[in-house]
Amino acid sequence: MTDLSTGGISSEPVTDAAPARTHVLRRLLKRKTFVIGAIGLAIIVLIAAFAPLLAPHDPLKQDLSGGLAPPFWVEGGSSDHPLGTDTLGRDVASRMMYGARNSLVIALFAVLLAAVLGLAAGLSAGFSRGWWDSVLMRLGDMQLAFPFILLAIIVLGVITDRSALHLILVLGIPGWILYARVVRSRVLAERDKDYVMAAKSVGASRTRQRWKYVLPSVWTVVLVIALLDFGFIILVEATLSFLGFGLTPPTPSWGSILAEGRRNMIIAPWLAIFPGLAIMFTVLAINGTADGAADVLDPKLKMGIFRRVHQKKATNVTSTDQGSEDADSIRTNLLATKDETEPSSLLEVRDLSVEFPLEDRVVKAVRHVSLEVDRGQTLGIVGESGSGKSVTASSIIQLIDSPGRVTNGEVLFEGRDLTRIDDNEVAQLRGTKIGMIFQNPASSLNPVLSIGSQMVETIQQLQKVSSANARDMASRVLLDVGIGDPQGILSQYPFQLSGGMNQRVMIAMAMLAQPDLLIADEPTSALDVTTQAQVLEQLIDVTREHQTSLILITHDIALVREYADTVVVLYAGQTCESGPIEAVIQSPKHPYTQALLESVPRADLEPGKRLLAIPGELPDPTDVPVGCPFALRCRYSMDVCSDINPPLDVVGSDRVAACHLDAVPTSKVDAS
Amino acid sequence: MLRFCLRRTAQMVIVVFGVVTLVFFILRIASGDPARLMNPPGQQEEIVQLTREKIGTDRPLMVQYGDYLVRLAQGDLGVSFHGGQPVLDEVLKALPNTAMLAVTTIVFSSTVALILGIGAALRANGAFDRVVLVYVSVALATPSFWLAIVLIMFFAVRLGWLPAIDMEGPQSFVLPVITLAVMLTPVLIRTIRQSFLETLSDDHVRAARARGIPERRVILVHGLKVAALPLITLIGLQLGMILAGSYVVEFIFNWPGIGKLTLNAVAGRNFPMIQGGVLVAALAFVIVNFVVDLTYAALDPRIRLGSK
Repeated sequence: MTDLSTGGISSEPVTDAAPARTHVLRRLLKRKTFVIGAIGLAIIVLIAAFAPLLAPHDPLKQDLSGGLAPPFWVEGGSSDHPLGTDTLGRDVASRMMYGARNSLVIALFAVLLAAVLGLAAGLSAGFSRGWWDSVLMRLGDMQLAFPFILLAIIVLGVITDRSALHLILVLGIPGWILYARVVRSRVLAERDKDYVMAAKSVGASRTRQRWKYVLPSVWTVVLVIALLDFGFIILVEATLSFLGFGLTPPTPSWGSILAEGRRNMIIAPWLAIFPGLAIMFTVLAINGTADGAADVLDPKLKMGIFRRVHQKKATNVTSTDQGSEDADSIRTNLLATKDETEPSSLLEVRDLSVEFPLEDRVVKAVRHVSLEVDRGQTLGIVGESGSGKSVTASSIIQLIDSPGRVTNGEVLFEGRDLTRIDDNEVAQLRGTKIGMIFQNPASSLNPVLSIGSQMVETIQQLQKVSSANARDMASRVLLDVGIGDPQGILSQYPFQLSGGMNQRVMIAMAMLAQPDLLIADEPTSALDVTTQAQVLEQLIDVTREHQTSLILITHDIALVREYADTVVVLYAGQTCESGPIEAVIQSPKHPYTQALLESVPRADLEPGKRLLAIPGELPDPTDVPVGCPFALRCRYSMDVCSDINPPLDVVGSDRVAACHLDAVPTSKVDAS
Repeated sequence: MLRFCLRRTAQMVIVVFGVVTLVFFILRIASGDPARLMNPPGQQEEIVQLTREKIGTDRPLMVQYGDYLVRLAQGDLGVSFHGGQPVLDEVLKALPNTAMLAVTTIVFSSTVALILGIGAALRANGAFDRVVLVYVSVALATPSFWLAIVLIMFFAVRLGWLPAIDMEGPQSFVLPVITLAVMLTPVLIRTIRQSFLETLSDDHVRAARARGIPERRVILVHGLKVAALPLITLIGLQLGMILAGSYVVEFIFNWPGIGKLTLNAVAGRNFPMIQGGVLVAALAFVIVNFVVDLTYAALDPRIRLGSK
């Protein structure tokens, strides 16, 4: 039991409903582990069921003159006893077939017993809550506080005449807690759901509620646990038989044949080998079935035995959006002509595409995005969640989350393409020439290392100094970002600091090397409104002081308006428009930019005029539309928009936009 | 912290008391008459009765239980039914042998599991990962007693490299430890791989890389410090597996430890000795898990400083 209880079964409540049954079988059949396991298991079950027909001999028939005959392929063996005989001349093959019957039946009933007990306990505990619940759960805690298999060995050891019933009871009863815990948590998650409440209010009886509404959501989890438990109990039963505490002889079981094998292991090794292989094969088949079933029926229960991380090589992925190829090549051409005329800036991203290949589809997170940052300048990247702005940022420093891959374009930093150079070279740029701070400061610092040790580590990465000197340097930079008591902060851990403090630490660490470029990915969105402005001011101050270029990524166009020199507006992984901030704000050339501007609260908005929200949602990134991705939400949408993805056109000095409209009509905010 | 220790101590006492009581009554209700077993078959009833009086099983059950508890409270585990040696002495003689086996197994298994688990996580789905996952699923299905026999047949009988049974010198540890490790490592590897995969995709690991911390250090310091914490708890819980496994392994390898002592006692219905063996196992399990929890708290500042 120990194995299962610690093997990673999550007992957290699961809220999603059971998958539709019609699809379950089809999805199960797609799992190789499930299919192979199930076939293996079926073979064993068939052999066990038809043992009387298949077995060449009576498993109990002794033939003392023909004892310890070897298997047929060894000299002295015969096809009459294909796997040889034991000391009493009994046929090993026949004994193993009958042994399979005993092992499987005992394990099956033990699992059923445990499942029924656990289901009853879990359901009743979950529904009653109250004292019955606490009694059951404390009992479970007690049981898990001691490895019950030790007691099982002793109980069976001292029973003089062991029947199958004894084994079933001893092996089955301790398993209840596995089922009870998971079922209980599912019931707790389920009982407050609307449909159960509704059933209660129309007067469905308690029993009816249990069976009709809650069982469908727990049957899968019970099934998966039962399968895993089944394999484990077969192993335990074999172990007990081996120790001589299984079925009373002469009834054959795999373990008891093995026990005899041990006594004769030098003269008759086959006695020990075959039953072990049979047990191994059976348990492998059961675990394979269970794991495949867990993946399909109950992903939260994954045991990870045969599990795959959903990952494929990027090279295997072929692009499927033929429809937008034309527009893409136009974009590429446009940019290719553009960069010949301009000198290289600090950072230039050209025609970048990033994809995340999943098991059966591809998330196109970034599609043909280009941007550039000059020295000392601030670029704002604006877009809503899912627009690809964070992925763009992490691809600049080549830290895209697995399994993401850059599939097109280049990232030129000081003229070098970071997508092509060696990993180690990129790693050397990180933290020295390019710094990055992230959205969630609390989780961006190592939770078990103190602030001081993380800062000292970073400093010593940059230059050879003693730890004491590094600490002094750390306190100085902390002072720079407005932390009053740097010595105190250094000895603390991230969880002891506020979000604003942690983000200041992150800024201080990023600025340690005085990088040429700092990428700030939503640096203040996770902070309290009151500290947001302060932390942002601090960030802007330190970057201006050190002449560091800044990429400020945000969903808030107002922030960009205040601090950035240029802006790129992203939508669904594509550039809508880009250009100098004032020009873009004054006369947006893309309806999305216009809509973003309208959704910002402004002081100059006259009373009575309303803010506009943008209706609709981002398109599915795995299935991007052929036409303009914004077409469905665009108030100026035309027929052409849903057919052709508009290319990026030059729309002014240093400005590009991707829209079929010749000119975006002036804002409708006032008109409504 | 003090409250935590007191609560855990109370819990440990309750668990051990529960186990001891359960074993006491199971032995006397489920088992045959030990006195009859100690006499040759067909022995006269009067003589068997004398044996019963000698070992005390003639008294009412509750009297025996009360007597047992009173002696237990005084540190007296009784005397063996066979030969009359004090159980405490026998148990203390066997305990170090099992402890040495268990500690060697834990150290060996954790090292192997860390290497394999981290290696598998670093190249998830790569060739090494697949090989490790195959090992995990095969090891999980391997009956330990069978493996022990195969190992003996191959390394001791056929090749003659290692002693087959008995505890005589460091070589004797090899086969028992491998047997136990094959039982223990699948669970450890799976946990380390999973927890490492999760840690490697944590924000703080990405942030450390963004700061230019070298990959080796990111993995061995930033990743390992966080990812290894679950391993500590897991080893405590898996001690139950090791204890159960040591019954089998000590039986096969004729290892003079608690497991063999208990199994021999079971075969001979030697009640005091069985009770002694189980008591030691229960104490070891709860105490080790208590120490594990304290270690975890000491290593994780979120718990160490958070509880103040």
